[in-house]
Amino acid sequence: MDVNRRDVLKVLLGGTAIGAVTASTAHVAQAAPDKVEPLEDAVGLLYDASKCIGCRACMPACQNANGLAADRGSSHGLYMQPNNLNSQTKNLIKLYVAPDGHERSFMKQQCMHCVDPSCVSGCPMQALHKEAKGVVGWDADLCIGCRYCQIACPFNIPKFEWYRVNPKIVKCELCRHIVGKTQDQPACTKVCPTHAVIYGRRSDLLAEAHRRIQENPGHYYQDRVYGETEGGGTQCLILSRVDYAKLGLPPMGPESNASRVRRVTNVIYQGFLTPVVIYGGLVAIIRDRWKDHLAHVAHGREKNQSKGAQA
Amino acid sequence: MTDHWERCIRLKEPLRTKPFKIFVGLAGFAMLLGLLREVSGLGYVTGLNDGYAWGLFKNWNVTALTALGSGGYAVAVMAWIFNERKFHPIMRTAVLTSLVGYGTGMISLGFDVGRPWNFIHILNPKTWNHHSVLLEVAVCMTAYVILALNFENMPPFLERMYKSGDPQRSERALQIFHYMQKSFPFWIALAFVLPSMHQSSLGSLMFLAGERVHPLWQTARLPLLYLSMAYILGFACVLLVLVLSTYVWNLGWDAAILGRLAMVMSWLTLSWLVLQFVDLAYRGVFEMAFAFDRYSLVFLAETILLLVPALALQVEAVRSRPFRLFRLTLLLTIGGLLYRFTPTSIAFIPLGNYTYFPTVIEILMSVGFTALAVVIFLFTVKRFAILPASEGKIASEAAIRPFDTL
Repeated sequence: MDVNRRDVLKVLLGGTAIGAVTASTAHVAQAAPDKVEPLEDAVGLLYDASKCIGCRACMPACQNANGLAADRGSSHGLYMQPNNLNSQTKNLIKLYVAPDGHERSFMKQQCMHCVDPSCVSGCPMQALHKEAKGVVGWDADLCIGCRYCQIACPFNIPKFEWYRVNPKIVKCELCRHIVGKTQDQPACTKVCPTHAVIYGRRSDLLAEAHRRIQENPGHYYQDRVYGETEGGGTQCLILSRVDYAKLGLPPMGPESNASRVRRVTNVIYQGFLTPVVIYGGLVAIIRDRWKDHLAHVAHGREKNQSKGAQA
Repeated sequence: MTDHWERCIRLKEPLRTKPFKIFVGLAGFAMLLGLLREVSGLGYVTGLNDGYAWGLFKNWNVTALTALGSGGYAVAVMAWIFNERKFHPIMRTAVLTSLVGYGTGMISLGFDVGRPWNFIHILNPKTWNHHSVLLEVAVCMTAYVILALNFENMPPFLERMYKSGDPQRSERALQIFHYMQKSFPFWIALAFVLPSMHQSSLGSLMFLAGERVHPLWQTARLPLLYLSMAYILGFACVLLVLVLSTYVWNLGWDAAILGRLAMVMSWLTLSWLVLQFVDLAYRGVFEMAFAFDRYSLVFLAETILLLVPALALQVEAVRSRPFRLFRLTLLLTIGGLLYRFTPTSIAFIPLGNYTYFPTVIEILMSVGFTALAVVIFLFTVKRFAILPASEGKIASEAAIRPFDTL
C-alpha cells in the first residue's frame, strides 16, 4: 500500500474533524437526544423559603438521623453552628440579607438530587449513583476519593472528610437508610413545624408548587419554581420570594452539564468507533513507514560497512 | 556551525554530580512527605478544602505537566506520520521525557486520591461508569504508560542487555527486539490513539464543571484546545531538554532538527491562538478578555506568553541562536502550562467563601515529583544511549549496531 501525505492528513484531520467540527455543531444543536427525564416515582423535597421561620429544627434532626456529630463552628463550643455545609453537616439553613437590609430570606441548603446529576456522570466508579426513586446515593466501597464530584457539582454540595485517613464523601442522601423502613419521610421534613419543607413525589411537589404560585401571583420570584428545569431539573424544588441567584442557586439552562458532556463525547467517539477507525488507519500508515525505515537503516549500514572496508 | 545528529549515544559523564544529588534529595524528601500524607488526612498536609477540592497534585502535576510529557507523542507524529525522517535520532529523548512526565504524574495522582485502596475496583469493568470522563483519563493514561510508553522506551534497555557479555542474555535481547520489530506499527498506533483520547478528555473534565469555570475558559472546545496544547507543550519540552542537553554536554547543534521543531511549535501555537479567539467570539465573550479584572489579566498573560515567542520564533536568526531559542521556548512553555492549569484553579469558581493556596508540604511534594522525573532522566541518559549526537561524537563511542533502527 502506498500512503502519501494526503492520506495521512485525511486520517488525522478526519479524526480531529469528527471531534472538533461536529463538537461545535453539537453544541448548538437544539434537541438533546439523550435528555434524562425524571423517574415516574422520583421523590424529593419542596422547600418554600417564604414559609421557613429559620428555627433550624431540621438541622439537629438531620445530625441525629445520620449519626453526625454537631459542628459547633464559631459558637465557642456552645451549640451547633456550622458556617457551611461540611463533612459534619448535610443540611443547613442560611439567612440571606440584602446589603440594604430590606430583602431577606432563609435558604435550606442540601443535595438537590438532580434528575441528571453531574456528580453521578463524573464519578469514575459508580460510587455516586442513582438509587431507586432517583435519590443520589454514595457507596463507600466504590469511592476512590478523587473528589471529582466536588468539582462537577454546580451547587457545590458533596463534602469530603479532609481530616480522616479513611475519608468519606458526605452529602444528603434523602435519609435513604430510614425512609420506607423506620419512617415514611426524611428527618428534616418530619420535624419542620411550618411545613416549609415537605417530602413527596417530584410530580406531586411540582403540582403543589404551581398551585401556590397560582394562588399567590407575584408572591414568588418570577412566578417560577427553581429546579423544575434548571440544569436538567432537580428533585428538590425551591420556592422563594427572593431572586434564586441571591440564595446561591445558580441560573442554569434546561440542559444538564452531564448531558452536554455526553453529547460532545458521543460526537467525538461515535460509540468508540472513531478511536478504532483512527487506530486502524494509523496502523496501515505506520506499517508502511516502518518498512521504509528498515530499508533506509539497512542501506545506511551497508554504506557504513563499505566505508569501513575502504579505510 | 551546525552539526547533524545521527544516532543516540550514552553520555560518559559521572552520574553523581552535585545537581543530581540535589534532585535526588528533593525527590526522596517528597516520597517521605508522601508517606506522611498516606498516614494522615489530606487536610493536614495540603491546602485543599471543600471549595477547591483539587490542587497542585492534580491540576499542576497531572493536568498541566502531562501536556509537557506529550513530547513522545508529538515528535512521533512528525517522524512516523508526516515521515520527517530527520526526527528519528531525537525519538528516544522524546519518549523518555514522556515516560518520566507521565510516570511522575501518575505517582502524584496516587498520593492525591483519598481512598486509594478502592483502586482495586478498576480491575472490574462492571463497576466502571462508562460516562465518566475521569475514568477514561485514568484508564487511558495507565494503558498509555504501561503499554505504549514502556514499549517505546525499550530499545535502549535491550541494547544494554545485548551488550551485557552474557551470550544467553544477548540472545534473549535479540529475540525481544525481533518481536518488537514485527509488532511495531500496532504499538506505535496505540501510542497515538491513547494520548489523543486522554489529553482531550482532560479538557472534557472541566467541561462537566459547567458554570464553575469562568467563561473565558469554559467552552465545548476545551477537549480540542487541551489536546492541541499538549502537542505544543510536547514540542516545547523536547526542545528545552535538547537545547539544555546540548549546552551542558556539548552534543553539537543540529539546526535542521531544532529549527524545524521550533517552527512547527510556532505555527501550532499561532493556529491555537486563532482557534481560541474564534471560539471566544463565537461564544460572544470576547469583551471579557479585555475587562482587565483578575480573569482577564490571567487570560491576557497567557495570550502574550504564547503569542510573542511564537511570532519571534518565525524569524530564522532567532531560531538558530541557542539562548534565544531556549528563552523563547521557556516563555511559551510557561504560557502553555498556565493555560492548562488555569481552568482547574485560577478560573475555577469555588461557590462560597473559599480560598486555596498550596501548603509548603504540598509544594515540596509537587516539586519533588518533578525532581524525580529529572533524576530518572539524568540516570537514564548516563546509562543508556538516549541523547542524539553527530557522527564525529559517535565515532569516538562504540556505537551499538543491532538496535539502531529505533
